[in-house]
Amino acid sequence: MKRIKATKSKLVFELGQREKRSLPQILKLYPCVPAAHHVLSKSGRVPDLAASQELLDEALAEQRAENRKQVEALLADPRRFGHTEMGARLSLSPAEAEWLMQVLNDIRVGSWVILGSPDKKPAELTAANAAHFLAMEMAGYFQMQLLEAVERET
Amino acid sequence: MAETAAPQHQPGIVQTTEDKPKSGLEPGYVVICWNDPVNFMDYVTHVFQVVFGWPRKKAEFHMLQVHEQGKSLLTRESLEKAEHYVHQLQKYTLHATMERDE
Repeated sequence: MKRIKATKSKLVFELGQREKRSLPQILKLYPCVPAAHHVLSKSGRVPDLAASQELLDEALAEQRAENRKQVEALLADPRRFGHTEMGARLSLSPAEAEWLMQVLNDIRVGSWVILGSPDKKPAELTAANAAHFLAMEMAGYFQMQLLEAVERET
Repeated sequence: MAETAAPQHQPGIVQTTEDKPKSGLEPGYVVICWNDPVNFMDYVTHVFQVVFGWPRKKAEFHMLQVHEQGKSLLTRESLEKAEHYVHQLQKYTLHATMERDE
């Protein structure tokens, strides 16, 4: 995934054949982080903690639903993934790139949670954990490409 | 925190100026970001810049605190503002919480 064009309103990336196939597959995993992962306070010493936690859960659930819709719209829009000889060309506004980074980080962190929140790479990749490990790594790869592109513009 | 490029950091240069609670009657709440091995260092720095509007050096200072000390106290705010920041940071899937400042 390579940034090939950048204007104030548009970032254009060239995706190779493998990236063209894997990015939609990775994005289809969204949302990945379990709702229970988000905790407002560790100590619990916050007034009306239950209500405040509920507010956080609702805000995040709303965001997940909205993001899911946007992911589906992105994947269904043929103008976004223009086919090229190399693979595909992906066009995003800087705000969309920022949003896509959030989505990819959810997939990265969610895959890590499913793997059991390990400190290091799993010692052994098995049929059960390989797909989650791959999703975590691939989401991180695309996320960092976007971050680099966004930061070069600022 | 998952390592990416290590930023240059000179201790003492970045001033951390957490806002003090404005009212003596209102307790302050601190927003804390906790370390995890999955979020990239560069991503955490970026999120701090976006959410708090911090310059890169200050964002890197706090990211390194998270990475090296396990957590960083990001800001001290009223209850509502602290909640707002925790919501924002969690939308980016950072491990952030708010705690009563005592």
